Amino acid sequence: MKTLKINLDMSSYSRVIIACATLFIMVSFAQAQKSESSIQLSFSKKTDNSRIVSALVMAKNKAGKFLPAQNAHVNFYIKKDKEQVLITKTNTNGAGKTSANLPKELAMDDDRYFTVTVKVENDEILEDAEEELHLKDIHVTLNLNPTDTSRTATAVVTETASDGTEKPIKDIAINFYVQRLFGVMPAAEEHSVSTNEKGEASFVYPKGIPGDTLGKITAVAMIEDNDTYGTVEAKNECAWGKPLLLDKDPFPRALWGAHAKWPMIILLCCLYGGVWFCYFFMFYQLRKIKKEGESELLIKN
Amino acid sequence: MEKTKYPDSNIPAELSEEVIRQDSMRPTQKWGLSTKIWLAFLFSVAGWGLFAYIHQLRGGLGVTAMRNYVSWGLYISTFVFFIGISHSGTLVSAILRITKQDWRMPITRIAELMTFVSLCFGGIMPIIDLGHPERIGNLVIFGRVQSPLMWDVMSIITYFVGSTVFLWLPMIPDMALMRDRLTDTTKRFDKFRKWLYTKLAIGWTGSKTQWKKLELVMTIMTIVIIPVAVSVHTVVSYIFAMTLRPGWNSTIFGPYFVAGALYSGSAIVILAMVIFRKLYHLEKYITYRHFDLMGRVVLALTLIYAYLNLNEYWIPGYKMATAEGHLLHDLFSGSYSFEFWLCQFGTVLLPIIIMCFPKGRTPGSLAFVCTLIAIGAWVKRYLIVVPTLLHPFLPIQDVPSSWSQYFPNWVEWSVVMAALSGMLIIVTLYAKFFPMMSMWEVVHGAKVEESKRVAAEMVKHEEVETHNPEIAKATV
Repeated sequence: MKTLKINLDMSSYSRVIIACATLFIMVSFAQAQKSESSIQLSFSKKTDNSRIVSALVMAKNKAGKFLPAQNAHVNFYIKKDKEQVLITKTNTNGAGKTSANLPKELAMDDDRYFTVTVKVENDEILEDAEEELHLKDIHVTLNLNPTDTSRTATAVVTETASDGTEKPIKDIAINFYVQRLFGVMPAAEEHSVSTNEKGEASFVYPKGIPGDTLGKITAVAMIEDNDTYGTVEAKNECAWGKPLLLDKDPFPRALWGAHAKWPMIILLCCLYGGVWFCYFFMFYQLRKIKKEGESELLIKN
Repeated sequence: MEKTKYPDSNIPAELSEEVIRQDSMRPTQKWGLSTKIWLAFLFSVAGWGLFAYIHQLRGGLGVTAMRNYVSWGLYISTFVFFIGISHSGTLVSAILRITKQDWRMPITRIAELMTFVSLCFGGIMPIIDLGHPERIGNLVIFGRVQSPLMWDVMSIITYFVGSTVFLWLPMIPDMALMRDRLTDTTKRFDKFRKWLYTKLAIGWTGSKTQWKKLELVMTIMTIVIIPVAVSVHTVVSYIFAMTLRPGWNSTIFGPYFVAGALYSGSAIVILAMVIFRKLYHLEKYITYRHFDLMGRVVLALTLIYAYLNLNEYWIPGYKMATAEGHLLHDLFSGSYSFEFWLCQFGTVLLPIIIMCFPKGRTPGSLAFVCTLIAIGAWVKRYLIVVPTLLHPFLPIQDVPSSWSQYFPNWVEWSVVMAALSGMLIIVTLYAKFFPMMSMWEVVHGAKVEESKRVAAEMVKHEEVETHNPEIAKATV
């Protein structure tokens, strides 16, 4: 092994010391400039059993107010055998939000609890911060009977016991909704029902909810922001709604619409065509003036 | 006395052809220091505006004061104003030409030039208003025939082509004259001028057949340009009126905009007349008579505009329907009341009162009145665009405070001032290259006046001969 000999005189020593001191001051200064940050977490489990953890990162500004932090480095970890395993590295968006899909085969303890840790790490602007979610995995299924004229939806909430059997959970509030284009709409004014001993919660969907052309609606049953389970939802489709009648020509006398009406096209073509015809005739005449002038000049010369 | 009693002639008959030509061409023959300073000032304003626009391109429309609700602010108000003043050429040149008003001759070019420059910069304002100007091409690629925006683009392009040609056609004989007079082309600048005049003169020799053809195309353009101009501002009004928004959902918006355009456009022509008359010493040509007649035109247009204004606010004000009522309340007694009443009294009523009197139609008074009208017309466009956008049918709620109010910021002012400077740069450069009066038309006008004078004298002489043959003999 080679040894590297460095001969340093006094001035070189002082240079190294000054450089180190500068570096130290810069690092300290950079550290001192970092803002305090905080993380808010939420969890949702969808019908297709995908599990999403969403994080909102806030940073403290000079006025001491917490505001959404844009482009913060956020890492998601899952606890597996008492160790934290990195799932994904993300950055927050303009609203300070980011999210991660948890793996399908999720590491859980004996009581079916899983732990997700979200950290703000190695960020240039923000101080390190972390937040933990410790939730229990449950299942919600939504059963709809298309032939049921009473339009009763039954949501069943169960958890998997250590022996692998499904065990009902009682006294959990389930909210019933109808899926709309940009979100969910409460199915009725009183749309929350608690589960019974069988883990079932039944809800009667009102008549006349606007559906698609076949009257299909998407019913949604949701456990929302539960401290033990997070947000868990189940969706199902059924033709309980009012069929949508598509009016092919909703404004029969109006000139506006998806397609221009023929009279309008003809009118515009005639008007603009007429004007442009005059322009072209004029240009033709000007061309004649030019040619005539050129030939006259030729004769003169 | 001279200021209120004007001569009947349109152009002084005693002016010779050569004097008229010399007077017209003199400003094009030298570039004074004041012109250079003036141009430097305009270019610096335009440069600053360009910097602001680049800042807007880099940062997006978020750097302006426009937000979700007010997405059409100062830019679109200015667009409507500029398109409005572009009607000046149509009114003064085309309408007066078609009605054979000979007094128009010394002022037509000024009017046509105003049309050209205001269209140049009016047309680009909506592109500036786009966050991504390159998306203007989407209008062609994905254009919908039933959209008023599409009609607007088509009308403005058609009007721009028409008014550019309409400015150029009467210039052809003048360009030929300037081409022939410019013999010394040793300097590079003069060589360029010679080349420019030659190109614009398109081989004009003044032969009978050329005159015949030129008269034909000018007649065609005079007839065509009037409906095109009317269609442009009507279609601009359709952008607003085809929506269901309070304040814009009006059936009289078309004529209201056209009347407003003619009223502001003719006021701008008078302002330009005052400036060029003073700067280029055209007092012999643009006389008090011209101001008196133009003053009468503006007075008539202001009265029409006032009548339409009354209809525009009186009818919805009588009904005060919910959404419209909120807007009108804001205009009549709310946050825009000062600007609204200033427009109504200061720029409509006061000009009417002043112009009713002959002394109110002198150059000085008209310069004051027309400045009021021009400013008022701009503010009025702002009052048409902005308050309506701040009064949507669904109330504005749960939004940042900057979304629920609007006042243009430095970026918008800079860009608009740059556009205004751009207009003035073109006008200044035009005046330094081309005569501001249509020389051949003014010469023709002087000849007509001369023949009128001779005819009148002959009639007078015949009368004298009939009644007093001895005096008639002595006169001969």
